[in-house]
Amino acid sequence: MDMPRDTTTEALDDAPDEALLVLYANGDRLAATALTRRLVPRVLGYATRLLADRAEAEDVTQEAMLRLWKIAPDWRSGEAQVSTWLYRVVRARLRRAATTLDDAPEVADEGRGAVAGMIEADRMAALDAALAHLPDRQRQAVVLRHLEGLSNPEIAAIMDIGTEAVESLTARGKRSLAAILSGQKAALGYEDEE
Amino acid sequence: MQDRDRTVSEPGFDDLDALFGAARARPAVPSDALMARVMADALDLQPAPRVLAAPPPAPPGLWRGVIDFFGGFGALAGMGSAAAAGLFLGFVQPTGVADLSAALIGGQIDSLSLMPSVDDLITEVTP
Repeated sequence: MDMPRDTTTEALDDAPDEALLVLYANGDRLAATALTRRLVPRVLGYATRLLADRAEAEDVTQEAMLRLWKIAPDWRSGEAQVSTWLYRVVRARLRRAATTLDDAPEVADEGRGAVAGMIEADRMAALDAALAHLPDRQRQAVVLRHLEGLSNPEIAAIMDIGTEAVESLTARGKRSLAAILSGQKAALGYEDEE
Repeated sequence: MQDRDRTVSEPGFDDLDALFGAARARPAVPSDALMARVMADALDLQPAPRVLAAPPPAPPGLWRGVIDFFGGFGALAGMGSAAAAGLFLGFVQPTGVADLSAALIGGQIDSLSLMPSVDDLITEVTP
């Protein structure tokens, strides 16, 4: 979507999330645009990898952003990062819809079929398929750590666990991913590159 | 933390970090419809801009009334200055002012009648 961009909007792009949220709560429409453009792709990426269902991921993203708009006037500065708070909302939403995650193996099978090609999109599909095979908590930890680029303390805050547990989950998740993907190296084109 | 992750044995697939890097380089692209829905929610729920109310005008006080009665602060300041100068001259009676008075009046005046007597008036009207 072509969101309106002007000099003021570009200046807002450099502002911290929390500052934008304060501006939004004070009635600044450009802050709403900047927050939407910045946060929606991140939340959508996280939700898509956890849900493996694009339409539902979009619904979850909209719902998480809706909660952000509602809480903006009462946002308590310094208590949490806006992005971390959003990840927590998405995670809580996914826990309520746990039955959706039970369908993950079917998505994984579709992903395996997609790895016949050797282009990068196929590698991404294979990665998503392999992620779908992971247990729920391992998948969340791996996605937040290695795909969203969050630190272990941030992930610990999102998942309500300790940093040691985060390290354990990501390590086990990576081992499982490696094992799942090991049988697809040729299909993914890695052996040709070596 | 990253180093610790890398020490973990990853059987059969040693390019996982490169795959993660490629995935990070391909962020999710929201559809136009999703962006429009989120923006619509944002604008619906956005509080109205705060407008600072002007302070109420102060009630007119006694001094304000006095100043307005004399034609404003400027006029009152002029009157005050003139009154202060008159008081000063009256108390100090500077020599120069006394000399000026003598020069203008032309000498010592013993008596000065400001009200003619009634007899003089009667005399004038009598044929």
